[in-house]
Amino acid sequence: MTSVLKTFLRNRKAAIGLAIVIAYVIVAIAAPLIAHYEPLARVGRPHQAPSADHWLGTTRMGRDVFSQLIYGTRNSLMVGVLAGFIVTAIGTTIGITAAYFGGLIDDVLNFLTNVVLVLPQLPLLLVLAAFLGQVSPLAIALIIGLTSWAWGARVTRAQALSLKTRDYIQAAEMIGEPSWRMILVEMLPNLLSIIGFNFIGSVIFTIITQATLEFLGLGSPLTLSWGTMLYNAQNASAIIVGAWWEVLAPCAAIVLIGVGLSLMNFGVDEIANPRMRSLGQVAKALRLERRLSRQRMQEAK
Amino acid sequence: MNFLLKRLAFYLVAFLVAATFNFVIPRMMPGNPADIMLANANAAMGPEARAALMAIFGFTEGPLYLQYIDYLKSIFTWDFGTSVKFYPVPVTDMLMQALPWTLFLTGGALLVSFSIGTLLGILAAWRRGTTIDVIASPTALALQSIPSVVVALAGLYFFGIANKVFPTAYAFDPALDPEWSLAFVGSVLTHGFLPIITLSVVLVGGYLVTMRNNMIGQLGEDYIAMAEAKGLSDARVRYTYAARNALLPSVTALALSFGALFGGSLVTEVVFNYPGVGNLLYLGIVGRDFPLIQGQLLIMTLAMLTANFLVDLAYVFLDPRLKRA
Repeated sequence: MTSVLKTFLRNRKAAIGLAIVIAYVIVAIAAPLIAHYEPLARVGRPHQAPSADHWLGTTRMGRDVFSQLIYGTRNSLMVGVLAGFIVTAIGTTIGITAAYFGGLIDDVLNFLTNVVLVLPQLPLLLVLAAFLGQVSPLAIALIIGLTSWAWGARVTRAQALSLKTRDYIQAAEMIGEPSWRMILVEMLPNLLSIIGFNFIGSVIFTIITQATLEFLGLGSPLTLSWGTMLYNAQNASAIIVGAWWEVLAPCAAIVLIGVGLSLMNFGVDEIANPRMRSLGQVAKALRLERRLSRQRMQEAK
Repeated sequence: MNFLLKRLAFYLVAFLVAATFNFVIPRMMPGNPADIMLANANAAMGPEARAALMAIFGFTEGPLYLQYIDYLKSIFTWDFGTSVKFYPVPVTDMLMQALPWTLFLTGGALLVSFSIGTLLGILAAWRRGTTIDVIASPTALALQSIPSVVVALAGLYFFGIANKVFPTAYAFDPALDPEWSLAFVGSVLTHGFLPIITLSVVLVGGYLVTMRNNMIGQLGEDYIAMAEAKGLSDARVRYTYAARNALLPSVTALALSFGALFGGSLVTEVVFNYPGVGNLLYLGIVGRDFPLIQGQLLIMTLAMLTANFLVDLAYVFLDPRLKRA
């Protein structure tokens, strides 16, 4: 485990991404220590610009934007991680089951995955959320988790199928290892990078989708999250009256966590497929080669 | 031909699944589904209208399977019910009026983002490790994780409010009449510009990264070395050899991105107050107009399946092996 972590941290992109995500986690845990005000209390005049008292200004209701942002982090992270777990669990189970057992099971599961993939997801989520009424963050995590597994299932299945043809898997099968051992001990560890990739990607997707659903007014207005902040800002016509801070703050928070998580994912991808590990290293190698050839030219003169 | 027929059958099943969701979801909710669905309607419509609306959504007397058949019948006769909020306008009419605008946005954005993304991806892979790759690829990746809400709001603020370069609402200047005149077409283009760019920004990163990664895979192949050894020009090797083959998986990725495209357009339309399906949907959500919300799921499913079918056609064109299969 420590060696995996070391490889991960040696990748600069992954390390920066991890640092950003850890910073968010700390903010979420220490929210009461960081925020100066009650996030839902009227603590100032409406639509005040950022100042020393209110670092990110106030909303139309006179609430402190910075405190809302800090407390909202808890909500978004929890929903993201919960839905990420659900998506990854379903996707991995379906993907590996389909690939390992093959035949009719594979046909059925693969068909199911492909159908879910071509259904428009946001419209489907909107219908679900609309019928559930103003949905709580927990319900949002559940409905995103239960509808977003198809991509992960497809990728996991493809990877597991290629694993299945490897010699060591066939050898293990001939020894007569039981199915559960084949799946859990022989295959799963070799699928870890794709599972991690799927998980991080799902967390990004969930955070974005939660914000979108809440922005469209399907979330519960009582929750404190980046999405409801955007919804309230939109309702208060914050942009039109020039209260840019009310919109900028949650937007920036969403973008930064998204960048952090996708940097981590970029790292996972590069560790899994060394061929993609090109950006920095290839540039370095090319520069080195150019310098060497220049030196050689000079020596030849 | 066989391939396309198989795909068509598959899309038919997918549409049935979406329609079934629409049928099942109200029935899974606690309480009487009809009451939830028509909660706001009582004041607006009489008992007969209410009964007619319920019939369209299959809330008829009788066992569930008969209800389901009734429901499917109404869907396949292109009857999505009556709007509750804009009673008595049929949902189908409202959606069909909005759909062309949504298709204009999504089509425009697809064209812009796929061509730019793919072209930059080709160049980034070809000049791997040089400035274009080092700048474009991580930027593309970062762009992928930015939600369309954020891009749309930023675009609205900077180009619509802070600097009044582009209009911030409607699909064309309300003072103009819809006709084939220069002024009207110009108005449509300026009103569509920001929404299309917003959507493109969200999508371009994905296409770039996919194309780059496919190209890198192709560049190691023997036939590329062969083409270079023949002394073909760089551009020829790049576009007609490597890129043509790398495009195939990119087109698959294109089909997978339709969800993001149509989802993004829903949000973008709300922010720019653009009269497409998304904006209509927003009104539906605000007014708890369930027939309208359900109708958009069916319309968006149809749009998405059609788009997927077009990709299948492109696939047959790009991969001649499929013609024989």
